[in-house]
Amino acid sequence: MDYIVAGFFKAFELLISGDNATWSAVWVTLKISTISMLLSIGAGLPCGFLIGYFDFKYKKHLRTLLDTMLALPTVFIGLAVYAFISHHGPLGELGLLFTLTGIAIGQTILAFPIVTAITASTIESIDDDLKLTLVSLGAGKRNILATCLWEVRYGILAAAVTAYGRVLTEVGISMMVGGNIKYHTRTITTAIALETNKGMFADGIALGLVLISIAFIVNLSLSFLRKQ
Amino acid sequence: MNKKTLAYHLKDIQHFYGNTKVLDIDDLKIQKGSITGLIGPNGSGKSTLLKLLAFAQKPTCGHILYNGQKEFPFSPTIRSKVTLLTQKPYLLKRNVFENIAYGLNIRKDKRHLKEKVKKALRTVGLNFEVFAHRKWHELSGGEAQRVAMAARLILKPEVLLLDEPIASVDTKSAKLIREASLKARDNWGATLVIASHDLQWLYSISDMQLSIFKGNIFSTGMENIITPPFEKYNKDLIAKKLTDGQIIKLKSPSPKTNTAIIRKKSISIDLETQKDLNILNQLHGHIASMLLEKKTGYIMSAISIHDMSFILRLTPDQISTLDLYPGKKVILKFQANDVEWI
Repeated sequence: MDYIVAGFFKAFELLISGDNATWSAVWVTLKISTISMLLSIGAGLPCGFLIGYFDFKYKKHLRTLLDTMLALPTVFIGLAVYAFISHHGPLGELGLLFTLTGIAIGQTILAFPIVTAITASTIESIDDDLKLTLVSLGAGKRNILATCLWEVRYGILAAAVTAYGRVLTEVGISMMVGGNIKYHTRTITTAIALETNKGMFADGIALGLVLISIAFIVNLSLSFLRKQ
Repeated sequence: MNKKTLAYHLKDIQHFYGNTKVLDIDDLKIQKGSITGLIGPNGSGKSTLLKLLAFAQKPTCGHILYNGQKEFPFSPTIRSKVTLLTQKPYLLKRNVFENIAYGLNIRKDKRHLKEKVKKALRTVGLNFEVFAHRKWHELSGGEAQRVAMAARLILKPEVLLLDEPIASVDTKSAKLIREASLKARDNWGATLVIASHDLQWLYSISDMQLSIFKGNIFSTGMENIITPPFEKYNKDLIAKKLTDGQIIKLKSPSPKTNTAIIRKKSISIDLETQKDLNILNQLHGHIASMLLEKKTGYIMSAISIHDMSFILRLTPDQISTLDLYPGKKVILKFQANDVEWI
């Protein structure tokens, strides 16, 4: 029990003292999870809208596939991305292995189905009267798209936050594709795994606290936005 | 009817939801600047017709001429001329001001926006200072409907379509919505098509009443519908038995039809039965209500025959001669052959 309490004190000490290794992991985590989030929102939002708004053949099959992808294990994504970008892989020449770009690609693949599926469900839940109202007020296709997205903005924010939480806390992709290189590709989660393996529980707890704090701030921002 | 005076001309319209036909209109003309009342039970096709008139849906078959022009595909221009207010208004998740200004904003018409919103709110009896910044969820049902109405009126549409606009609002809101809709016609000559169960209102303001049942339009206004079950009476006739023992005898239907229509004009009203065997149906009932059709002076009378209601259009002379008043016992007479089957 003592080492847990000690971990909390160590956490504050590491953060306040500006420990380079800790802050590097925090910065790397924030950087790649934000990039992968932006990429997955950029791709997932329009895809989710199209799937949710329109009826087409094989829509149900596509939804089933998307829902399955929600449960993709991060190590599997890590493995697949590794296979593609390793020196022997088809994209090996790009030199993405053990880089932040490589991790961002893997995390985008992880977040994309989450953003797409939740956006599609949110769009599907739109009241039928909304479209009729917009049409009857003279809205064109662009206005309908923009207004529908704005009407379900909280649902989309929830999709983004859920996906952000997933990429922020994943370890499989960062470990396999990033290689956990100190000051380069080490993220908070890979650092926790490493410190725990080394028996440095205090450092692990410190990083865990940082992770929880980030998640807390993100959710706090969401509730603030909801109130606006 | 001059083509230039026509707002709508619907030709050979059929509309289906899946395999179910919900609308079947051979020919329907609606004049510019007129008020058309749309009457019919729930599920009869009123809302579908209004959606077609609003260019929110394309009919499965047939076409709609608007101002003499065939309209398809629907352009934002045509949609900006016609607007529809539904029974359950959908307010955008914004404040009242933004809801009312939405239509003008998407038209990029931002001149004197505040003044226009203020005027639209005033038309529906809402105070700008009190309501403009209220959120959509801070309004009662009646206020929300009035805001939705204001959002349409601010656009000064050529056609205002109202689908049961006062069905679920309080008396005060209903009165204000009725007045506001008439202002659209009086102030800028809008064409109004109103679906409502408030017959008194419809008969008092409309130039034309359309009755709709099972997707069929009766341009003669409300007609008398007799629904199944029927029993075989003899080889030529079938019978509708009322629970008080009276029997309505009708000519047998043709295949694939099961609902009988007895036109108002085919029914006569009397105070005594006649020993004329040719008149097969002589039904005892009483006058349930009387409504004045302001435009024509006719009196729409609802006659209650036990658990059924019949509508008749009577002249003031008939009312006076027979000394008719609500509650008076009367006899309705019509022939078995006067039935139409749909």
